[in-house]
Amino acid sequence: MKKITITIITLFLAIMTLPLINGCATTQAIADKSGAQLWGENCLRCHNTPSPADYSDDQWEAVGMHMRVRVHSLSPDEINKIVAFLQTGN
Amino acid sequence: MKNFTHLLCIPLLFLVVNGYSQSNTPDEASEQHSERTSFLGNTKALITGSAWFGVAYNKKEDVKLNFNSYGFTPVFIWKLSDKMFLESELEIADGNIELEYAKLSYSINKYMTIGAGRMLTPFGAYGERWEPAFVERFPNSPLIPDDQYLPDDTHLYYGAIMGIDISGDVPLGGSRLNYNLFISNGPSLARSEETGELLGGVVQYENLDDNNTNKGIGGRIGFYPFANSSLEVGISGNTGKPGDEKAEDGTDSPYKDITANALAFDLNYVKAIPSISSIISVKGQFSSVTVDKANYTLSDSTLYTYDNSLKSFFAQLSFRPATVNSTFLKNIELLYRYNVLTPPEEAVWGGKPITRNDFGLCYWLSWRTGLRFAYETTTQESSETKNEFLARFVMGF
Repeated sequence: MKKITITIITLFLAIMTLPLINGCATTQAIADKSGAQLWGENCLRCHNTPSPADYSDDQWEAVGMHMRVRVHSLSPDEINKIVAFLQTGN
Repeated sequence: MKNFTHLLCIPLLFLVVNGYSQSNTPDEASEQHSERTSFLGNTKALITGSAWFGVAYNKKEDVKLNFNSYGFTPVFIWKLSDKMFLESELEIADGNIELEYAKLSYSINKYMTIGAGRMLTPFGAYGERWEPAFVERFPNSPLIPDDQYLPDDTHLYYGAIMGIDISGDVPLGGSRLNYNLFISNGPSLARSEETGELLGGVVQYENLDDNNTNKGIGGRIGFYPFANSSLEVGISGNTGKPGDEKAEDGTDSPYKDITANALAFDLNYVKAIPSISSIISVKGQFSSVTVDKANYTLSDSTLYTYDNSLKSFFAQLSFRPATVNSTFLKNIELLYRYNVLTPPEEAVWGGKPITRNDFGLCYWLSWRTGLRFAYETTTQESSETKNEFLARFVMGF
């Protein structure tokens, strides 16, 4: 148990240092990402990417909030970009 | 019966609300938009979720072919305003009906949201993110401490807690971090449903009412080292006192000071690789629960103790040629999952480690509907290997 915990914590810390080795992209580069790019990068992490036609514009807003609360990993600005992209393609 | 009636009221309420909002013409909706502008804003609701039907085949069982699972889990999501949000899931599965969660959220600012209610346990990644039937690629869940292997499901790996949480996302240059911290009704020592006696140190985390004043505290921190969010690693912890404060005779309970600590690590890597026209995914989670040593009573009234540590691990690899030209091939996903469950060996309810290898195939009919197939071999020292074929049809809506 102790060995496994130490190994995993070491792995975790090693992964956390990867950005220092690889070099971080600038915050601006992330801020400039389009809704389509964010949609392609993020939805896929858990489930297949949905089609814009699956929900109405209002429903996409509810879905966006749902994903923000559930996954905690996208800022409101990014969620709004994804929702706007899906609404545009609807 | 009363609870059942209350549960039925929830979908009916949403059907009425949804039906009303969808029956309006755009002009009517536009007029009402301006009329409904209040501190709540313009509410937007949706019913989503999934339904499934499953079958298992085991040539060594008396009943070789068994249609063994079904379920229907409508999820009601309701955006009340840019700050307020409500989500709830009703789970109707295998003869049971349950309000799986009902969480009310308020966004304080863009870095922090506060939530309250019955919520999916933010422990590891499986329960909150990968467990829904339309997300889970296999016909069943990973090998976890559930009713199939232990006398009671701990409900830590997926289940719901009653409490309050704060969560959010923090940008860190090209990386990012997300967090969830909660306080909830703490764990309790599980009791037999038939006799009411303690199950010798099994911990139950899904408690609508708490059994003591101590509260469970925990959370999860996730880290995305890369700007394209392809990799996430997470660490979760949870601590609480599961024992009653008083024994049945009114004296202090011998279990009042024992502590249950849980720890989990999860990893998720998903990447589209254009050179092979495919998407690969690697997912995994290690979880453990350790309970302080205590004396438990056997059926013959003698006392015994043991190292109460329960661990589980799964790692999953999937491959989908999602961007090839063939419509048939692009909908196929090949899967492999390795699972280990290590119960406390000396516990009455424990035993030797259990290992399971799952070979799976998923055929997608839409982004959330598909057929799942798996061949699973389960081995445990001094037990016969179990080989089983499973299939499930999942429809997301």
